[in-house]
Amino acid sequence: MGLINYNIEKYSPQQLVAIPLGLFVISLVVIALTITATGMPVKPGIDFSGGIAVTIITTDSNEQLQATFTGYPLSEISDMNNGKFLKFGTMGDPQYQSLSELINQKYPDAKIDQIGESFGKSLQSQAVLALIFSFIGMALVVFLSFRTFIPAAAVVLSALADMVMTAAVINIIGIPLSLGTTAALLMLIGYSVDSDILLTNRVLKRQGKLNEKLMGAFHTGMIMTSTTLAAVTALFVVSWFGSVQILMEISAVLLIGLVADILNTWLTNVGILKWYVLKGSGK
Amino acid sequence: MNQKELKALASDWSVATLIILLLVSVIAIYPHVDDKGNIATNLQYGLDLQHGAWIQLESKGEVVGFTTDRPMDDFLTNLSKAADAEVILIDESHLEIRKSYTQEELKPFFESAGGEITTYNAGVSKSTADTVKRILESKINAIGTKDAKVNTLTGFNNVARYIRVELAGVDMKQAQEIVGKQGKFEIRVQTTGNETEHVLSGDTITSVQLPSQEPPGSDKWGVSFTLSDAGATAFQEAAIKYGATADPENHNLIMLLDNETIYSAPLSDDLAVQLQTQKIRQLYASTGTGKYGSSQASELEIHLRAGALPVDVSIAGSGGTSAPLGERYKAMALLAGILTLITVGFVIYYRYREPGIVLPMVLINASELVILLGFIALIRFQMDLPTIAGLIAVGGTGIDQLVIITDEILHEGKVPSPNLYLKRLTRALGIIVAAAATVVIAMLPLALMDLSTLKGFAIITIMGVLVGVIVTRPAYGRVIMQILSK
Repeated sequence: MGLINYNIEKYSPQQLVAIPLGLFVISLVVIALTITATGMPVKPGIDFSGGIAVTIITTDSNEQLQATFTGYPLSEISDMNNGKFLKFGTMGDPQYQSLSELINQKYPDAKIDQIGESFGKSLQSQAVLALIFSFIGMALVVFLSFRTFIPAAAVVLSALADMVMTAAVINIIGIPLSLGTTAALLMLIGYSVDSDILLTNRVLKRQGKLNEKLMGAFHTGMIMTSTTLAAVTALFVVSWFGSVQILMEISAVLLIGLVADILNTWLTNVGILKWYVLKGSGK
Repeated sequence: MNQKELKALASDWSVATLIILLLVSVIAIYPHVDDKGNIATNLQYGLDLQHGAWIQLESKGEVVGFTTDRPMDDFLTNLSKAADAEVILIDESHLEIRKSYTQEELKPFFESAGGEITTYNAGVSKSTADTVKRILESKINAIGTKDAKVNTLTGFNNVARYIRVELAGVDMKQAQEIVGKQGKFEIRVQTTGNETEHVLSGDTITSVQLPSQEPPGSDKWGVSFTLSDAGATAFQEAAIKYGATADPENHNLIMLLDNETIYSAPLSDDLAVQLQTQKIRQLYASTGTGKYGSSQASELEIHLRAGALPVDVSIAGSGGTSAPLGERYKAMALLAGILTLITVGFVIYYRYREPGIVLPMVLINASELVILLGFIALIRFQMDLPTIAGLIAVGGTGIDQLVIITDEILHEGKVPSPNLYLKRLTRALGIIVAAAATVVIAMLPLALMDLSTLKGFAIITIMGVLVGVIVTRPAYGRVIMQILSK
């Protein structure tokens, strides 16, 4: 893309890796703080901790809503394009019955989702397992397809950095871990290695000057990421406009992840790869 | 492109497969105008895209791995007494307890019965979960609700803890009523001719066993069930009073569920004789031989339970979407899909500025989506919001990979000779396969686990990647070469 003038040639491997390394460390600190606070690397949402989520179409103000739901453990009200998204803590069956009657009567067009605490907990451990298995599986495929340690490790490390940075950012801006955002994180594992594999493949398997190969890969890689960014941005805009909470969360996580991926592919991965080739063990 | 070239293109296997898949998909999706004049398709929507409610039930029981040095029957009887619950043997080292206990609470029961706990999992066995599922399904069917789905969520260890019921077109309150509703069960006895008299009602049945063969291995099927003391007394008195013990042939016993006859048979001769002198709590209703007898027995088992589940359940979660919100989400999802394609088209055009490349790219990308939707329609998968996000993500990676193919082939800006072209296409496909493999592997755990609604999302993503790698992307390579060699 003509808009971006990025000259990989200019920088040494150390310079390339410095920025993402700093961000990686900061992200780890953020995640460590979240773990001490919640016991999970990302703050679990209702899907995993239990509770009630309600989407309503209304023009009522937050104060009015608070007044309507006094006596219920209303924990959060967030604005949406033309409605509100309410979160309640866990409650007993009779209270839930009366709450759902109240909602049905006042806001008949609502969407209600209630997740029990024990079910949420059992999902939580499975979701963490799924993320770990996915990551290991991805790493295996990457090592199998390159069969050289350092380039493969660079790809896996970039993917790890993507996940860690994304997790840190969603902690900071307050997107909770839900089934939807778990799916988005898993998608990121797949997405993030796309451009890394392209880069490594071009550099190791093609003939030519290193810098030319890097620039070629950068060119192709940026088109790839920009199309994906465009697709995800479209999804984000539509879901914000239509106040579709889950799609908004998924697309927000993907957006963050893709930005982290640009950083990690074209700084972290390129840096390590350049060092590896210059060291003389590559072609 | 002249006709000959078109023909050559269409006879290429990947292009041909793409065309066939597209046709099959359109047929599977079956876009048509329904009787109300709306545009309709065969696609099914999940409960966040249409009016409906879901309830997640948790089974109150546990599956316990155990060892014992006592005779199995004694052990089970003692354990059942100690725990005051039904205990069912699953295999020689696992049993199911149909009451909620923690492992610590169970420990003394096992000790007193002479056994030891080796593993503990909350939930019930797969077969019990299937019975629960069958009962719920038959209840829902009886009410005539269409579009109902009952899924057991079974983990890796074959223990099912949760069951999810999805009902389209009803709100949450109705859904809870349907799931909680019990049928009215009654046994009557034939007196004279078509006249019958009430014998007992469903509340006197204390337990119902699984269908069994009597004698074992005979392929003669039936269901045994147990009456309460009062029930057994009523049964004996009625049988004697109306002559069923003296003349079983003319005094059928008739079982009714919600006033409909579900079973009618005479007392067996043995039973008739026994009933003369004593009351009997354990009864056995035989249903016939072979497959027919066995399926009848399963039916009867459900009916005998009158909608009561073999294990207590509690509601672990529930939710619902109103009709207007569902409609709105559906519209938004469609809008998102179309807008995404258009945006991607613009970005690609900005880069290549060549309609001959951009058009095939966008068309191939769109055809991937159509094929996936066709697959979704074919397996009658219910699309929900995460699936739509998955579809859009698949579309995104799809376009990425078409970019890889294009750039590999156009390397150094020159159009390659056929030989070089094939070499480059193969190299591009190599990159794509590696990238695709990582996506498939990353999604595999989700597809295998029962992570609620995410399973479908993972399956759709994997399918999308496979269709892309095997069919549409090679086809694109073929098409783009034809165009570039102009």
